[in-house]
Amino acid sequence: MSEEFNWLEYSEEMEAAALEEEGRSGRRGLRRLLPRLPSLRRPALPRMPGIPRPRLPKLRLPSLRRRGGARESHQPSAADILGEQLNRPLEDLDDRLRALRERSVEASQPAPSHQALYAVDDLLAGPALQDRPGGVISAVSLSKAQQQQVEMLRDVVGGAPEAANAGGRSPRFFSGFALSAAPRLLGSAVLLLAVSLPFVSSDYAEGDLPPAEFHEDRHEPTTFYNLLDNLTGDDYVLVAFEYGPAAAGELDILADLLLRHILAQRAKPIIVSSNPIAIVHAQNVIRAINRSLDLAGEQLLHGEDYFLLRYLPGGALGLRELSENFDDVARISAKGLPTGLQFDTLDEMTEIVLIAASADDIRHWVEQVASAAEGRRLLVATSYAAQPLAQAYADSLDQVIGPIVGIRDAYTYGQKLETNFGALLPAEASPQEPEFEQLDADASSDSQAEGRRGPELPAEDAIATALPQPTETAPPTATYFATDRPQPTDTPAPRATDSPTATATATEAPVRVVVVTSGQRVNIRRGPTTVDDILGLGYEGDMFEVIGANGDGSWYEILLPGGVEGWIAEFLVDERLVSAAELAGAQASASAADTQRGERAVLQREYMLRLGKPAPRFYQAQAPASGDRLEVALNRDRAQEIPRLEAMTLGTLAAALAIIFGNVIYAARALLSLRGTRGD
Amino acid sequence: MGRGQRFGIALSAFVAFAVGVTTALSLLLGDNPALFGNQPGAEQLAELIAAPADALLRLATIVVALSIVIGIANLLYVHAGKLARGKFYSAVLLASFGFTVFWQVTRPGDTSLLEAAQLPIESALAALVALSLLHGGSRVLGKRADIWGLLFVAVVVVVLLASAPLAELAPLQAWRDWLMRVPVGAGARAILLGVALGAVVAGTRALLGQDRSVRG
Repeated sequence: MSEEFNWLEYSEEMEAAALEEEGRSGRRGLRRLLPRLPSLRRPALPRMPGIPRPRLPKLRLPSLRRRGGARESHQPSAADILGEQLNRPLEDLDDRLRALRERSVEASQPAPSHQALYAVDDLLAGPALQDRPGGVISAVSLSKAQQQQVEMLRDVVGGAPEAANAGGRSPRFFSGFALSAAPRLLGSAVLLLAVSLPFVSSDYAEGDLPPAEFHEDRHEPTTFYNLLDNLTGDDYVLVAFEYGPAAAGELDILADLLLRHILAQRAKPIIVSSNPIAIVHAQNVIRAINRSLDLAGEQLLHGEDYFLLRYLPGGALGLRELSENFDDVARISAKGLPTGLQFDTLDEMTEIVLIAASADDIRHWVEQVASAAEGRRLLVATSYAAQPLAQAYADSLDQVIGPIVGIRDAYTYGQKLETNFGALLPAEASPQEPEFEQLDADASSDSQAEGRRGPELPAEDAIATALPQPTETAPPTATYFATDRPQPTDTPAPRATDSPTATATATEAPVRVVVVTSGQRVNIRRGPTTVDDILGLGYEGDMFEVIGANGDGSWYEILLPGGVEGWIAEFLVDERLVSAAELAGAQASASAADTQRGERAVLQREYMLRLGKPAPRFYQAQAPASGDRLEVALNRDRAQEIPRLEAMTLGTLAAALAIIFGNVIYAARALLSLRGTRGD
Repeated sequence: MGRGQRFGIALSAFVAFAVGVTTALSLLLGDNPALFGNQPGAEQLAELIAAPADALLRLATIVVALSIVIGIANLLYVHAGKLARGKFYSAVLLASFGFTVFWQVTRPGDTSLLEAAQLPIESALAALVALSLLHGGSRVLGKRADIWGLLFVAVVVVVLLASAPLAELAPLQAWRDWLMRVPVGAGARAILLGVALGAVVAGTRALLGQDRSVRG
């Protein structure tokens, strides 16, 4: 002990003695106070037999390095600098360091000799200086409580024998049990058994499967689904694959489903990642989808149906580059070839979908990408570990939708996808379409009606008759959706033909309206500022009734279809006076246009949900159609899905029981030792 | 410290400061014509201000990408040296690297190595972490038999049991929801605040020259 360095007992006499010693031994700094340790150099290992020693070419160092080397002779080494710092006399310390030292001295006063239950004071005590040999490291030591925490963490990863950590408690009663590796092996065996049994037999299944719909309290996952369900063939979706192989077991099903949903809508996913392995893994997920399409004779083609962009190096830096220079990033594929994509900004993406395993990835995407693409929503799918952070963002930012989390939500999402797309299958379509059947009768022949049930394309003329507006430009498979979704008459938007009174009042008084003049999509907000929530969207030519304006006239208060009030910026619109009939006609046209672009309706529905009002159903009636990609949505390999869920349930229960069992034993042991101590 | 060295330190600090301030101002003011009153020419001015950040960002990305290549080259060099000293694992690493390169050259676009090797290995490591956590969780009171240890175990058990979709455990789900919504949500937001404040402080210190590189 006498040769160990003790900060608290360090004095000028010791320093003088040490300097004298230094002169004799040539040792400098704190090392002069330490005993000489045996050399740590290991003996050279024998060379591997059969492997000749390679002769490496002698590299010429770059000139910069040589200059640096030359300078080193004039510079003090890092050890010298540290030594000088450590050897400063107390008077040289500034007030802050001196106060810190004094607190450390107080904190290092001996604690009570034995405590069965640690005192809170121990936890709150500052770092104490410990008697410990060593150089720089010894200057920052741990308090007793901190050391206990370190030991606990060390033990968590399977470390020290129990007896060494008994801390004065008698290990007699459980010593044999604790010293062996039995608890670890037993716990592992139980967990492995629990997660393996469901794959062997379904007899061991416990618990319910996740529901087919997201819980009504969680409207954001439903919004997530609806937003993807409203994509059309003209839409591009940026899909961020931010997970590596370690999280593949948890997130692959979700990624597969989201890609299938996007592809089934004939939208084009543009896959990007700041993780190089994730790009390759995304390629494998697409291949798995392609394998499932083999039977249908369809293949997804890179450059036509989907795009894999180049890796974004630099983490957050790479994401910043994505948001600032998306035009450049989108031009190069993962293989370094041109993609043919020509975008100016991220705002041209219809949606941004993020599939991330870690909280940091979510944070980077929100900070670097979502903030730069304010007009785009960020749809987040994530792991259980990153859920809290994703939820915090989703609760705070309207721009962030979700999160959809892990395997259980993936199952619900898959059920929704199968239910909605499965209903479009020809054999199941006929019982659900009485109204359209009747409307079709006049316009289509029997053979066309039959054709709609078969795999052939549906009767376009029949759809045109059924819908309130001409749908010649609608995708030819619209009937598949129209037959199972609510009727267009659910749309709350006023229509000239539905409301005879509108025509009657048309000549009575003009209505003050604004017409969107901006060529780009404009936001309709909850208040007259750009920081207010977005309630809806307006496109060029859209007409809204004016019900007010703000003080300086820079914002109009308008009435949205469905009776929702919102605000639109003045410079984006022209004010006019029109007849009520003209307004009703314009809004009906806009409603029909939403058939191709349903995001406006989804936003409005989302707003209604937040207000607690019943959601209008018109968003479904306006959803675009994509019947000829049914195979993408439905041909999934689900063999492992239910056993995985059951394994998760059994594994969770086994883990909880193991934790309860283990801790009950340790708590009993602590109580016994406490009794023993009091008895002593 | 010689005059040349002092000049080098001052120069590097100045370059770091100038680049940092330019990038920050360029990002803050650029691409935002509204800041200039939407007057004629405001858009061009905003683009002009945004240009330096754009260029520096591209440069930084290229530097990062190049550093990855240098890192790989350095890794190979270091392990070649270790191989010369008979290190077996270095031989495995170099052989794996060579095999992967050979595989990709002869089978372009074939990602089966990822599926067959890396994915199972990383999944297995993740599973080992789960086992370690289970083992640690079952020993918490053995290491820390105090109120905090009890609280920790109670929370873990409630969250785990409530995660199991069993009707018998439904009452626990309200507790779990509260735990996730209030304390965990507060923790997540605190982390976000801490990270944001840390980033501001670190950025400010770097810009003011308080934090410098070893040479700077």
